[in-house]
Amino acid sequence: MRRLKALLAAGLRQNFGLSLLKHKVLKEKKDLWLVLLAGIGFLSLLPVLVLYVRGLGLLFAILRAAGQETAMLTLAILVGQFFILVFGLFYVLSAFYFSRDLEFLVSLPARPFEVIGAKFGVILVNEYLTVLFVVVPVFVVYGVMAGKPLGYWPLAALVFLLLPVIPLALSGLLVMAMMRCINVSRKKDFLILAGSLALLATVLFLQLGLAGNRSPEEMVKFFSAADGLARLVGEKFPPCIWASRLLASGFSAPGLGYLALYAGGSIAVLLLLLLAAEKLFYRGLIGLSEMAVRRKKLSSVALAAGFARRRGAGQAILLREWKLMNRTPIFLLNGILSIVLVPVMLFIMVRTSAGSSSMAILKLLGSGNRLAEILFAAAFFTACGCLNGTASSTFSREGKTFWISKVIPVAPGRQVTGKFLHSYLVAVLGVLGGSLAAKLALGLGWKSIVPAAMLAFVAGVLLTATNMAVDLARPLLTWTNPMRAIKQNLNVVIAMALDAGIVYGFYHVSRLLRRIGFAGTGLIAVLFVILSLLAALSIFLLARFADKRYTKIET
Amino acid sequence: MIELRNVCKSYNKGLLRAVDDLTLAVPPGEIFGFLGPNGAGKTTTIKMIVGILAPDSGSIAIEGRDNRSEPLACKAVTAFVPDEPEIYERLTGLEYLNFIGDVYGVPAGLRAERAGRWLDKFELSAVAGDPIQTYSHGMRQKIVLSGALLVEPKVFVLDEPLTGLDPRSAHHLKEAMRGHCDRGGTLFFSTHVMEVAEKFCDRIAIIHKGRLIACGSLDELRRQAGESQSLENIFLELTEP
Repeated sequence: MRRLKALLAAGLRQNFGLSLLKHKVLKEKKDLWLVLLAGIGFLSLLPVLVLYVRGLGLLFAILRAAGQETAMLTLAILVGQFFILVFGLFYVLSAFYFSRDLEFLVSLPARPFEVIGAKFGVILVNEYLTVLFVVVPVFVVYGVMAGKPLGYWPLAALVFLLLPVIPLALSGLLVMAMMRCINVSRKKDFLILAGSLALLATVLFLQLGLAGNRSPEEMVKFFSAADGLARLVGEKFPPCIWASRLLASGFSAPGLGYLALYAGGSIAVLLLLLLAAEKLFYRGLIGLSEMAVRRKKLSSVALAAGFARRRGAGQAILLREWKLMNRTPIFLLNGILSIVLVPVMLFIMVRTSAGSSSMAILKLLGSGNRLAEILFAAAFFTACGCLNGTASSTFSREGKTFWISKVIPVAPGRQVTGKFLHSYLVAVLGVLGGSLAAKLALGLGWKSIVPAAMLAFVAGVLLTATNMAVDLARPLLTWTNPMRAIKQNLNVVIAMALDAGIVYGFYHVSRLLRRIGFAGTGLIAVLFVILSLLAALSIFLLARFADKRYTKIET
Repeated sequence: MIELRNVCKSYNKGLLRAVDDLTLAVPPGEIFGFLGPNGAGKTTTIKMIVGILAPDSGSIAIEGRDNRSEPLACKAVTAFVPDEPEIYERLTGLEYLNFIGDVYGVPAGLRAERAGRWLDKFELSAVAGDPIQTYSHGMRQKIVLSGALLVEPKVFVLDEPLTGLDPRSAHHLKEAMRGHCDRGGTLFFSTHVMEVAEKFCDRIAIIHKGRLIACGSLDELRRQAGESQSLENIFLELTEP
């Protein structure tokens, strides 16, 4: 236990950079602005939080009128656990098998379950931060509006603390089983990628795919029961029903039963993970970095052929980015995940719940109004292309190899062009994927898709450049776990928030254009011109910013 | 030619002076050894020379050009090898060398000849097509050195280049560097191996707590120390805490 505690403490310090931040702020007197920025960032979230709480209050009132208020808890817990399960797969994969401290940890006199236990603890703390703002307000609004007694609050805290345990432990079990099988193969990287996507597809299918196609009689039955809606929401993942019923029942006999189920279930799955770690972890890990190699001397002809082509510096950097991203499973999964995930989710949702009200609303959004349809589609395509961490981690991904970018005789502005082309290529693929999903899932016509995609392509330039600028301002180069460079990188979150702000800004620009008399093709053309000008400006400014910033980044 | 004039660099808002008013010049044709205890400021100095760090004050010139006002011109004639071979693990050795060749503008015809020579000498030909991820520490060091040698620059800046090299590869590297300097090139390298510095360097500088405490040929250092001691003894005496 003492070893586990020491490993966990070291892991938390390393993961959150606590020691480094303390050193920089207190000793070097640097990065104080970062602490202030975090404070300001938190404060700027308060208005959103207030809006969210008000919305929850309204939702509670509506659900209470139907006697279904518990559904609110179930939904919040389900959403939290679902996201932890989906995104936790890659997080767990990265932390358990690809962090650079593993070689050191394996050499310590620690048991596999202690190493996994410590890593699990670090991920757990990260996940608390991820779901904090989604789940806690729901618990508070429910507790206050339902007038729950004092005993509700410690139970709510317990439910929150245990919330990520089951999905993360399940992710851990799936990943460890997968890696145990993959480690015997020679094509490990490919199998890791394929296996991870297969796991993700399975989880998505189970969660989304089976949710629809219910008869009206079944729906009536669900809604007539006291917590029917909660059961409907959580039927594919019982722990969220146990948790919401525990909160609704409190310290009553049934409540204690649900407490036993929820807490017992969490502990049981966690123990299973630790037990499996003893059997599977080291067998999946040791030798993972060994790759199938040829070890065959290159002939002078082969060598000459290998060096036959000379490329320009920009092209060489684009090629480097492309290869490094595609050959690092964690980067590839996080980079392509959203450009694959969003269209696939849309497709599954529409295909499996075509008759549901949410899909009807989605389809009605643009019906009868071509302009609205195009603009809505353009925003969706832009999101498909740009809401990923490729551009906003492009400098951070270089990590400790950034010294190479600093010493090569290529102007930073030119280096950034190569990097931009790589990130933009990913964005273009996202836009194309979104367009395809819109065509196949929603049946959107080409007359809407083509102009929407054109708008998304130019918006993609602006957002890619913006996202890169965010990462360039404060690249995270000291990571030991590649996941930190892309998923846990604050730059990715900031860039996504900025992207959302820019898209929202263009919503207002469109409204303004309509108000001053633009309509139809004319409005789209004006938007296209504005976006193109901003796109060109953003690339110019990014190159200038790189020329200034590169000299200041010290490695 | 490398010239440092009154170069200062501090950390912790000036509380820790890593390099303190350093002035030295390395003329063409000279193998210059840079010695100092751990944390003396060797790597900081080297990083400033190659443009990874910016000095707080003072100036650094490579081949007569200021490395801050004309960084690209300086980088084009300099090849740097760091003490830790942190390079693109997911590229193959061949791809890494091609990348270096592309960004330094080495003609395709010359690349095969130069790379072939160094891959052979460093016994990397059999693994050049494999990902760097599969290389040992020494092999990584050798592929970084091959990249630097592929460029054939006027100035080599090497930080502990012999660490991790097997004796044969170390011998080849020393031969190559001697040849480079004999052709009028410049070599600035740091080392902890006194014997190497003693036998290999034309001139040696010793840095301690950021300050240059001795600089000259071995004979000059001996004269400064007042007797005919070994470099190790001079070093120990000068850098006594």
